[in-house]
Amino acid sequence: MVFACDRLKPGMSFPKATRLLSLRSLTSVHQQHLLPSVPTRLVPSRTLIQNEYRRPGKPRENVLPWQKIKFDFSKGLEGIKKHFALLMKEVTDPWVGPEGRPLIEHMLEQNRVVWEFRGPESLEEWTLSSDREIGGQSEIHLKLGRNHTTCFLYGTLCSAPPKDGETRYSGYCTVRSKQPLASFDRKKHHDWSSFNSLHLRVRGDGRGAHWQDVKIPFSKFFLTHRGRIQDDQHPLWLDKINTIGFTLGDDADGPFQLEIDFIGVCKDPAHTEEFAYEKYKRNPQV
Amino acid sequence: MLMLHCAFVAPTRRHREKQKHLFLKRVQDRGRSLTAVPVRSWTGCLHGSIMRIARCLQQLQGLRLLRGSWRPARVLQPDPHGPSAARIPPQHRVLKGFHSSPAFAKDPRVPGRFVSEDDKKGQKSLVPHDNLFEQIAMGSKSKATFTKVIDVFNKRDIRRRGHVEFIYAALKKMPEFGVERDLSVYNKLLDVFPKEVFVPTNFIQRMFNHYPRQQECGIEVLEQMENYGIMPNVETKVLLVQIFGEKSHPMRKYQRIMYWFPKFKHLNPFPVPQHLPEDPVDLARLSLTRIANDLDAKVTVHQLPCTEVTETGEEVQRPYILGIQSPSQRELLAKHNPSRPLFVEGPFPLWLRRTCVYYYILRADPPLPQEKVEEPYDPERSFYYPLQLDFSLDRDFWDEEDFDVEDVEEGPVFAMCMTSQGDQATLGQWISDLQLSNPVLGRVPTLFRLDPGPQHLQRGEEEESDRSHRLHEESDRDDRPPGEDTEAVLDEEPRRSHMKQ
Repeated sequence: MVFACDRLKPGMSFPKATRLLSLRSLTSVHQQHLLPSVPTRLVPSRTLIQNEYRRPGKPRENVLPWQKIKFDFSKGLEGIKKHFALLMKEVTDPWVGPEGRPLIEHMLEQNRVVWEFRGPESLEEWTLSSDREIGGQSEIHLKLGRNHTTCFLYGTLCSAPPKDGETRYSGYCTVRSKQPLASFDRKKHHDWSSFNSLHLRVRGDGRGAHWQDVKIPFSKFFLTHRGRIQDDQHPLWLDKINTIGFTLGDDADGPFQLEIDFIGVCKDPAHTEEFAYEKYKRNPQV
Repeated sequence: MLMLHCAFVAPTRRHREKQKHLFLKRVQDRGRSLTAVPVRSWTGCLHGSIMRIARCLQQLQGLRLLRGSWRPARVLQPDPHGPSAARIPPQHRVLKGFHSSPAFAKDPRVPGRFVSEDDKKGQKSLVPHDNLFEQIAMGSKSKATFTKVIDVFNKRDIRRRGHVEFIYAALKKMPEFGVERDLSVYNKLLDVFPKEVFVPTNFIQRMFNHYPRQQECGIEVLEQMENYGIMPNVETKVLLVQIFGEKSHPMRKYQRIMYWFPKFKHLNPFPVPQHLPEDPVDLARLSLTRIANDLDAKVTVHQLPCTEVTETGEEVQRPYILGIQSPSQRELLAKHNPSRPLFVEGPFPLWLRRTCVYYYILRADPPLPQEKVEEPYDPERSFYYPLQLDFSLDRDFWDEEDFDVEDVEEGPVFAMCMTSQGDQATLGQWISDLQLSNPVLGRVPTLFRLDPGPQHLQRGEEEESDRSHRLHEESDRDDRPPGEDTEAVLDEEPRRSHMKQ
């Protein structure tokens, strides 16, 4: 994406669909066509436990929910300690204020740094994915930059579709943050309802050697599902943000790189737009 | 003139036949005039809006006739007094307009070719129409030959049998012929569909995805247009309405394209031009001005590409060298401490649409904390308002506009250059040329860190030790030991960043 690298684009994930940003600087006009033209079946209901990526079209494993819970004592006491510590934190946090911060701070906050890359553990929060999973040849890697102050995302994009007879378009690389987890691996959401823009400080191969501060209002995010823009649009639910992701999916094959300094959210008082797109009727008159 | 053979919701077949004859008679009576067939005499559910669009297209045609730029008009107007009238009976004149849009009547400039059926009998392939393309293209693949192939197919059969396979094959062949970004070719390809046959006439047909294969084929054409970023125009819309009707899937896809494309078209705050310059020097100039952070930066051409003949008679290709430096960078470089080395780093990639160019930068390491000198503001820089104020007002946490994050320590970039050959000799030449405007370069050691792999603009010192370093020494400088390569990482104290929103 990149605002700096002319090609990637950020996205937020929802329980059922993905929001992608339509910035032209991020991507070419081409939309992402990641999937075969076979109509998709109903999206399965998400369980509490996060699943691995399942390639569309692959049959689902018939594993019952309770069989998926792993009582792994190999990690020993640390795992149990960690979960109970989280549970204690969850119980005691509301005594201080929402999300463990005093109410006045929560209400009057103007900026918040959500992700900054200050050590190897910050890379654990991100998941990389590319079209290797469906048989393509793109690759993507993530490492820390100089002095452990930035993260460096690099790789190669290759839009040759995999030879399986059903995939028509290919060539994407994504990096996605992991969903925040509460105790015992339950899903939690980011609550950004007091903010209205995303602020990124990035540097990539689209804009040269200089850092770029990019601000994207949340009202500009639109709803897509598996690469196709949906008809009925509605604004992003800021209190139910699961993940944020950056995807590169234009047809320019070759190496790419992106350096991210930090990702934050801010409240831009000059931006009053609620939603940039029309909330469509299902079957409008021609 | 558009002859829309509208759906008759007439009770009996005889009534329908009668209506058809009435229609033909009326058309003959019209003669040369371009007025629309009267709407009110028709029954039928769809023709109201189709007539509206048809009238829109007629107006377009009328405008074109007025301008006199549209030649095929005379081919389509039924001309009872012209010489062609005797040859073409009236009902065939009507049918001609039935199956093709008037805009795409055969262009008399392209001579027709007779393609015999016997040639293709022996060749059976899974994609039946590939042969047609190979045969008619005959080596030269261009827009004219592509349209000729479409014309041959149209002429071959009035009912356009096998048009779906033909359109799929044509879509696949478009990049070979170089017409994938040409809207008129897509419109001509959509014209291959027979008109009004696939328009649903009653509610049952509307419910049950009327002619699904053809609708999918139409969607496929639009999807290829969307992939290449081509915006359709009103002719596409009229064609889609004529072929599939208004509530069809291709029409819906067209609506989606027309909704989202204008929103995305001008979103890039730093747009790259569609057609990049062919000349590498101009391309380098465009890229350098694009990535320079300063509007005052000036591009200097240090060397143009040329071929020189050395004394031994060999031909040596000299690459182009373009450099860019802004006045503020020049000032910074003049203040640079001569004891600290400068680094020429590269090549760094820069993507412009689909081309990747490489640039090199001249930079220094970030200054040590002790060396940082805060220069007092010169009050003469601004007469209208003071640049520094001594107030003790402070902002509380609810008014803070900056993010609470450490600064990324980075050395300043003094100049950038682009060249086709990124070796030490060429870059050394760039440095010597830069010396003319920055005399401090003569006193400062310059190290070359040229790496073929993926570069990040900040390097970790630990990763550097196994990379190749080359030392460049100027003749009129002090000899510096290459100990600068393995300098220890300086500990910088974290500071608050002062970023403006």
